[in-house]
Amino acid sequence: MSMDAMVLDHMMNPKNYGTLPLANAEGMGKNPQNGEKVVIYIHVKEDEIKPYIDQIAFQAIGCTTTIVAGSMLTEEAKGLTLDGAKNLVEATMQLLEKLPPEDAACSEMVALAIKAAVDTYEARKEDPDYPSITYQVTNDCTPKEEANNENTAY
Amino acid sequence: MKTLLIKTHEVWLEMLMAGFMSHTQNRQTLYDFSDILFRHFTWIEHEMIERKEAYDYDRDIIPIKVDRLSDMLKAITTHLLDLKLQLLGMENKALASRITSDLTYMVSVLGRMNDEVITAFSMERQMPNMQLSEEARDALTLFLFDESYKEYELIMVYNYLKAHSDDAYLNRIFQILIDESFFHLKCFGDMMAKMGILAVPRIIMKELYQVEDVVKFLKDGIEEELAAKEECKKLSDAVGNDSKELSDFFDFINAQENYHIDLMKDALAYYARGAHE
Repeated sequence: MSMDAMVLDHMMNPKNYGTLPLANAEGMGKNPQNGEKVVIYIHVKEDEIKPYIDQIAFQAIGCTTTIVAGSMLTEEAKGLTLDGAKNLVEATMQLLEKLPPEDAACSEMVALAIKAAVDTYEARKEDPDYPSITYQVTNDCTPKEEANNENTAY
Repeated sequence: MKTLLIKTHEVWLEMLMAGFMSHTQNRQTLYDFSDILFRHFTWIEHEMIERKEAYDYDRDIIPIKVDRLSDMLKAITTHLLDLKLQLLGMENKALASRITSDLTYMVSVLGRMNDEVITAFSMERQMPNMQLSEEARDALTLFLFDESYKEYELIMVYNYLKAHSDDAYLNRIFQILIDESFFHLKCFGDMMAKMGILAVPRIIMKELYQVEDVVKFLKDGIEEELAAKEECKKLSDAVGNDSKELSDFFDFINAQENYHIDLMKDALAYYARGAHE
């Protein structure tokens, strides 16, 4: 991770970290390989022509890179309409395709958690009891070198 | 009492952070006070368990970015005085009196402390008397953020397990692990302050400490300790060319993890033979 002042600030003061008691949807991004997860809580303001995310928060069981990604992406998502949030997720996923899987996994987990929260919100419009959605990452955050070592150890 | 627990949790961390910020003899006093506040936290927690009151380790974000130590001490003093007011409503008067007496003394000592200019938030990422390459600085920065949180998490997880166990054998193990994590947290917090990147560890998710399967938790914990050893070794190698002092420190932390693993294996064996039941 390149450590400019902006990244350091997200490390020292993660934005939007915590829960959101008034959330009307939440979603999870999960890495089944190491148990890391990100939960996104959103409050969608509904009394507008186009509903938008007026509050967002996240919690994570994960590394510092995940926290920085969560801090940055939730800042980006705040104020977006649901379509805007979906576009943000898509753009992030496209950007991640250019990165090695071990660098992409943490940000993918956050992006998928945002997608899960938005999808949960939309599903709850039809069924208010719809459970929170969880999506799993496709990238593996174990560096190739270590993964090879693990394979040869058995 | 829930608010009292949350506010004690917050002021314990504030006091600890103030200790990291200080460059003078104030530091040891602030550390000692933070240790006392942590004990208050465990006493209030115990009282809540006895009274079967639900609680968790949630708390607010704690702002600590200050230019002068006196600003931090003023904030802490305000919070200590708020705690004293909260204690007036506590049913266990003996406990309330014991804590109040400590808080009164702390407020008086904080009021006499000499002021200091704070450099713990400069973001300069330089260690005093050491020339680290950019790669080594980046590796050290990531390590400190990851591991300072991890040590805080371990303190809280083992504290929760200990609070909910009456088993002397296991509680001895949990207490050693809490003490060791405190030592590591203080080492890492001190380094973060020196590098100008001091930060309060983030709030822990409930599922981490409200452990349903202790055996699985211990097995995962052993894996995590092994991973931490690997991180220490990598970091020791990364800084080895620049600083033997730092490299030796991370080798020392690495070796300490062996003891933690042995303790967790010990607890695991104890569970496996059903001795805790």
